[in-house]
Amino acid sequence: MDFALTEEQLMFKEQVLKFARREIVGRVQDHDLRGQFDFQSWKKLGEFGILGLHFPEELGGGGADVITSVLAAEALGEAGVDGGLTLSYGAHTYLCADTIFRHGTDVQRHKYIPKLASGDWIGCMGLTEPGAGSDVASLRTRAERKGDSWVLNGTKMFITNGAIADVAVIYAKTDPSAGHAGISAFIVEKGTPGFSVSRSLHKMGVRTSPTSELVFQDCVIPVENMLGYEGNGFIMAMQTVEWDRSTLLAPFLGSISFLIQRCCRYAQERQQFGRPIAYFQAVKHKIADLKIFLEAARSLVYRIAWCKDQGRPLNHLEAAIAKLFVGDWSLDPINDAMLLHGGYGYCHEYDVERVFRDSRLAPIGGGTSDIQKVIISRLM
Amino acid sequence: MNFDFTAEENELKRRVAGVFTGEAVSEAQLMERASLEELKRTTGDFLRKLGEIGYLSLCLGPAQASESLKLLAAQEDVARISGSLFLSVETTARLFGGLVAGFGAHDQFSDLLALLAGGRIIAAVAVSEDERPDSGPGFSTVAWEDGESFIVSGTKPFVTNAPIADYIAVAASLDGKPAIFIVKPGDHAVVVGPRLETLGYNGLAVASLELREVRVPKEMVIGPLQNPTLIEFLRRTQDLLLTAASVGLMRRTLTESKKHADSHLRGGKPIFARQEIRFKIAEMLTLTQTAQLLCYRAAWMYSVSDAEAHAVLHCAKVFSAEASERVASMGVQILAGTGYVSGNPVEQAYRESKYAALAGTTTELARMSIAEELLKRHQV
Repeated sequence: MDFALTEEQLMFKEQVLKFARREIVGRVQDHDLRGQFDFQSWKKLGEFGILGLHFPEELGGGGADVITSVLAAEALGEAGVDGGLTLSYGAHTYLCADTIFRHGTDVQRHKYIPKLASGDWIGCMGLTEPGAGSDVASLRTRAERKGDSWVLNGTKMFITNGAIADVAVIYAKTDPSAGHAGISAFIVEKGTPGFSVSRSLHKMGVRTSPTSELVFQDCVIPVENMLGYEGNGFIMAMQTVEWDRSTLLAPFLGSISFLIQRCCRYAQERQQFGRPIAYFQAVKHKIADLKIFLEAARSLVYRIAWCKDQGRPLNHLEAAIAKLFVGDWSLDPINDAMLLHGGYGYCHEYDVERVFRDSRLAPIGGGTSDIQKVIISRLM
Repeated sequence: MNFDFTAEENELKRRVAGVFTGEAVSEAQLMERASLEELKRTTGDFLRKLGEIGYLSLCLGPAQASESLKLLAAQEDVARISGSLFLSVETTARLFGGLVAGFGAHDQFSDLLALLAGGRIIAAVAVSEDERPDSGPGFSTVAWEDGESFIVSGTKPFVTNAPIADYIAVAASLDGKPAIFIVKPGDHAVVVGPRLETLGYNGLAVASLELREVRVPKEMVIGPLQNPTLIEFLRRTQDLLLTAASVGLMRRTLTESKKHADSHLRGGKPIFARQEIRFKIAEMLTLTQTAQLLCYRAAWMYSVSDAEAHAVLHCAKVFSAEASERVASMGVQILAGTGYVSGNPVEQAYRESKYAALAGTTTELARMSIAEELLKRHQV
């Protein structure tokens, strides 16, 4: 075994950290309070190369490995970038763009990846429905072939970037009787007649990331917009899981490092009973618990990324373990970080309040903790 | 980065598995009810077998810290079979052997080390005391020079292996600095107290040790040494061993719990079919794998002298100790009445799990140390 990161990987992480602190963090609080997507930061992410980091250079990407992508995502969290922006980035780059890159034709790749890698276009992915979440086989959105077109009908729920996306990867049933094998994926562009955003959802956390309900009503798309081949949609959706359990979990790790900095600073500045509260054992224990969680979670997330870099098929057991651990075991230390800040921790003015709200998504999004336990126990 | 075991690591695991086949496993597990004579014989037998495969001569002393990771996976396998045997063997090899190999002068203990490598001696290390003096190296056990020898006097309350040891390394204060004195229990002035009855690890022989002005020849003395170096080595080694013991305990508990859940029927179905049981086992596996990876990473950091090695080892120690208590508790709950019966491996694990939290660096002190390092790094 060897846990060493390369010099290049460490240097790149440091660069992302500096970039994010310089270009993004200053606008985070304002956008979070207003619940608005930060287009300016998005543009900066694109210019810096974050949004297309792992794509080949000829498609506008940076050609990075998965570990580097994880480190970049972790650095964003560590710098203090909010969970909303990192979630939008994850959904855009890994759930939408990477699916097109991996399963699309050359024409589709060249048409979409450069625009998505630069951030000129925003992408989203539509799988979940009002009545179908982790039980993917029960999707009801229907795609019917009519001549040279597919006609989509149905509703998608909790779609990250839905309201601002220029392009969406949408999963629909092409053969309702075939269960998982009856699911296919399609590329749908903004402005396609019959495709609309019905409502945006107000959320507890990750507020800068728009989450919407998408409606497809006799939405006609050309046959060449099918992604991959008919009936392969479930496999595609499952392949996004390895990103979900690595690069999309990484910002949560980073946000713990961010909280450690914040807690250490506050504990040294805040005086009670004639001395900084950092002097008290109970305060020190809270700081230590953040670090213990961070170090415990780190290897789980890096392991998924490393396996992907090795070209190994996703180990669903290990992926579910990483997701379950980050989701459930982060809650207590983050709660303690807020408690450490006392009344200030409850106020928007202090970043810890935002991280507390954002982190509540970890045991819910991308498959709840209960679903992870179902997966783990099934695979044992 | 590489999350796979190397060929060398796998080879050592394979050799350890060769020692613990069939009857050997039962024999190791029977140590929990063994008399001192039986314990001495069984421990001696296993030491000889482990000596034959080269297990005892690895990672002895700070200069061989680079072997920490190579050894760890095999250590964990021994700990999974029997925590008592593991702690007894490691006290002989890594603590006693580490002291004499790492801190003794060149060739000073070559005969003793040859015996140790072959598994032909059982050894103990006596360090902790009831009260830690505020000044000096922190020992009330003292030594003074007397001609060509030293005289050592003092009491050590808890000495693992003391009742079965051929040699005991005693830490004492010599001219205000720590020094190690190798004594033999056969000496009438070396008084080993009666075997202590403990909550767990009942296959471990623990007793107090009293040194009544024991005369130790100069060639059996190490030091005086630099205080932090010696104490850090002992603490670090002990913490790493306790971390491995916790992971081994969790793996043992998980195996037994799953076996029970698969075979115990309720309402005509194995109880593993029930979500309450499945979810517990999923959580147990999550904690076990997380602790295991963190433990490997901490050992790797020592192997490469990483600046954060100390803090991450404390993280690993706290996490695995507390996770093992939780895993053992869930195991007893799954086994219900069966798990409450004395002698059941899960009942045994439940009792043993407490030890890691209070032995070595206690979880409280470890948390303080982690936090203090962070506060220093993020000084305002």
